[in-house]
Amino acid sequence: MTHNKNIDSYRLTIILWLVATLLGAVPYFVTGAVPGITDAVFESVSGFTTTGSSVVADPAALPAWLRLWRAATQWVGGLGLVLFAVAMIPRLRNASSQLYAAEFSGTQQRKLHPHMARNVSRMWMVYTLLTLGLTAALASCGNDMLDSLCLALSTVSTGGFLTTASGMASYNQATLDVITVFMFASGINLALIYNFLTLHWRRLRRSDEFIVYAVVFALAVAVCSVAFGLNGTPWSQSIRYSLFHIASTMSTCGFYTEAPARWPFVASVITFLLILSGAMAGSTGGGIKLRRLMTINLYLRNYFTRMLHPAAVLSIKIDRKVVEPDYVNKIFGFVFLYILFIIGGAFVLTITGSSVAEAFCLAAANISNLGPSPIINSLGANFEYALLPDAAKWTLAVLMLAGRLEIFALLAIVSPSYWRRQ
Amino acid sequence: MKSADIKGMLRYLGIVLVAEGSLMALCLVPALHFADGTVDAIGVCSMLTLAIGALLWISYARYRSIDDRRLSYLLVVLMWVVLNLFATLPLMATGATTSFTLGWFEAMSGLTATGATVFATVEALPASVLLWRSMTQWLGGFGIVLLVLALSPHLGINRYSLYTAEASGADNTGRRPVSMAQTVRRTLGVYLSLTAVFIGALWLSGLQLWDAVNLTFTNISSGGFSLSSSSISLLTPTQQFILAGAMLLSGINFTLLYLVFTLRWRQIGHKLEQVGFYLSLCLLAAAFVVGGLHWHHHLPWAEAARLGTIQTISALTTTGSVVDDTTLWWTPLTFLLLILSVCGGMAGSTSGGLKAMRVLILIRNARGILRSRLHPNAVAPLRLNGKPVSSHIRANVMVLFMVYGASLLLGAMALMLCGIGANEAVGASVGCLTGYGPGLGTSGGLGSYAAFSPSAMWVCSLLMLLGRLECMTVLILLLPRFWHR
Repeated sequence: MTHNKNIDSYRLTIILWLVATLLGAVPYFVTGAVPGITDAVFESVSGFTTTGSSVVADPAALPAWLRLWRAATQWVGGLGLVLFAVAMIPRLRNASSQLYAAEFSGTQQRKLHPHMARNVSRMWMVYTLLTLGLTAALASCGNDMLDSLCLALSTVSTGGFLTTASGMASYNQATLDVITVFMFASGINLALIYNFLTLHWRRLRRSDEFIVYAVVFALAVAVCSVAFGLNGTPWSQSIRYSLFHIASTMSTCGFYTEAPARWPFVASVITFLLILSGAMAGSTGGGIKLRRLMTINLYLRNYFTRMLHPAAVLSIKIDRKVVEPDYVNKIFGFVFLYILFIIGGAFVLTITGSSVAEAFCLAAANISNLGPSPIINSLGANFEYALLPDAAKWTLAVLMLAGRLEIFALLAIVSPSYWRRQ
Repeated sequence: MKSADIKGMLRYLGIVLVAEGSLMALCLVPALHFADGTVDAIGVCSMLTLAIGALLWISYARYRSIDDRRLSYLLVVLMWVVLNLFATLPLMATGATTSFTLGWFEAMSGLTATGATVFATVEALPASVLLWRSMTQWLGGFGIVLLVLALSPHLGINRYSLYTAEASGADNTGRRPVSMAQTVRRTLGVYLSLTAVFIGALWLSGLQLWDAVNLTFTNISSGGFSLSSSSISLLTPTQQFILAGAMLLSGINFTLLYLVFTLRWRQIGHKLEQVGFYLSLCLLAAAFVVGGLHWHHHLPWAEAARLGTIQTISALTTTGSVVDDTTLWWTPLTFLLLILSVCGGMAGSTSGGLKAMRVLILIRNARGILRSRLHPNAVAPLRLNGKPVSSHIRANVMVLFMVYGASLLLGAMALMLCGIGANEAVGASVGCLTGYGPGLGTSGGLGSYAAFSPSAMWVCSLLMLLGRLECMTVLILLLPRFWHR
């Protein structure tokens, strides 16, 4: 073993994820729920990475325990396998924060507690509370217990595995409203939710990222509501639907209710942009994350100012704290690699037979851990995961992992300096 | 904005209009020679352009400098827009295009050296218009080299962009910085001699002088217009390879070409990394395309090698000359061509795209970040040609990449809003922003943009301008901050 903690952390992260996703595939394969090994691994990776892309045609036909397993993989993956391991294995509790950084959003953020183990246990506490709360709420809306639990696990982890073949359309309105609220909540940084639950509300108001999240959410909902309204949907319904849809997209949960053909074009555009942006850093959602986009936006603003006033000394501040240039560069690097992965993934997908536009949608939706095909089809694509060739499924599985592990962990093991003898 | 600065700006506009008007007057030669009945129209247009240009130049001859930084950005964009306005004149006056939108698009495609055309059958155009199209590309191609290499350090545009390291003459040879006038002279010399050499070579290979002139103009400028809707696909292999040579050279930094041509080998050393990257990218991509053509399309090796290599060069240099109906090619191959056009040739050449230097910095930066995550205490500055690249330049390259990507994405979406299908919208957005030209579907391969709706054409024109001026110069004009203090 090396003595480089970072390398150790990446190694542990990758091993955990590989082992878990391969083991997770066994139930699907053994029961014959999916036709082959590729499908089983795809479903498993999709679960653990909280993507929700599924090759199962009718989830309702699966045996009850397998449905629960499917939902549970997302829940475990939602907070992260490393965090799960840290919580489960006592010896890891003294692990350094590098371990935490290897898996969970590589964005500078406040920890809940300086001590790693406390920090992790608080996150799990919030996460579990949210899940239990949602399960209870769903059960009280008249859904049966198993369904409620599965849906709660899928929602809080922003996974998006569905329980029926028809999306969420078969659930009653109360259920949809409850889920909308929780999808929105799971796009919020868990530390902020902890603050919220412990009544430190000022923290919420002071978080620039949360404000951006709320504003973008509200704007997107407004535009989509108008688009649906003008398209002939009754206004109250279009607002409700937009709330659900935007919460689902931004948190990269991936639930859907409406038949995609009814989507106006503007809604599709907003959907695609929100898929890429994702929600807040430190949430269970995927995507580039708003915090990074905010940094880029602030940098761009400074860039223009410098074009006009070359001598200006400018800094970037988020949450009233200066973001170091070195750190800004890391964010740029991340976004660059993210785009590179989308382009590379799309390229491989065209080799397996997709058209260019479809390949882009597929790659973007899967690296952002969004998932279900109807949402992507509403953007103009037309495909079914089950019908994709095996090579495409493996490509998508890699993209999902890349997105969930925020690229660096995945790239670390292929970089020469990782293998070089210390 | 002081009035002296505005007058200085008008003087510059006058100069470029005189240049444009003179080139326009040259189109009278084919008009008279082929007697295509456009002498009057072309004559009037060129007189008008020359007159307005001369008027501006003479009346404001005293105002030689522009002190206002904002005006210099405005000037660059205005220059392209005004040139384009006048370039539209001959197309409209001769009746080649039926509407202003079409004329504007075609002229913009010419001046930005993009090569996207609205004419489904180019052959039907009068000779003078054909030459004018080629001329606009030749002018635009050189214009961008000039702008980047000479004008912009003077105007302060590139103070924070990448070219400072290379174009301002701050090289590591310890030599006295090369003056602007000298750079202009050198670059113009290279451009003119390349043009002459390739006209000669094409002529010797059996092409009519008329075709040789036009094709050289459009290929040496990384433009891609041609005299027929079959582009260069019906030429003999020798002629195609000569044109490929022209395209390949058009993607190389002109200062570098000057040093090579004048045999100053010692000064080249520090620029080799980008050439190496440019050429090896070209080689790698060509290998993939050739392999794809051979194994997937079952073409014989010789033909696959010819088509694959030439089309790869055409895409990487964002020229857009087409050797085969690429719409029928395997999707990954056409996709790869689009990716190559986004990379583009070298900075300081006529090609578009992001440029090899930026792509190199992007890659090295990403690698450096990855390394620093594994070894947080290691210090490894990013180097290019042996010189460290400041974190400032790094970040600027990154942000340009993101703005470029966002423009591509939003451009594709705007095109879809104008009723273009998803696939074609992506293709056209890349084709126009990078200056490659052909997109996917009807606008790809040997096709044209004739089927695009007027609104879509305006989106495409805007993308061409954005791409050619590397986004930031245009975008800063859209900020409210720019217009009031």
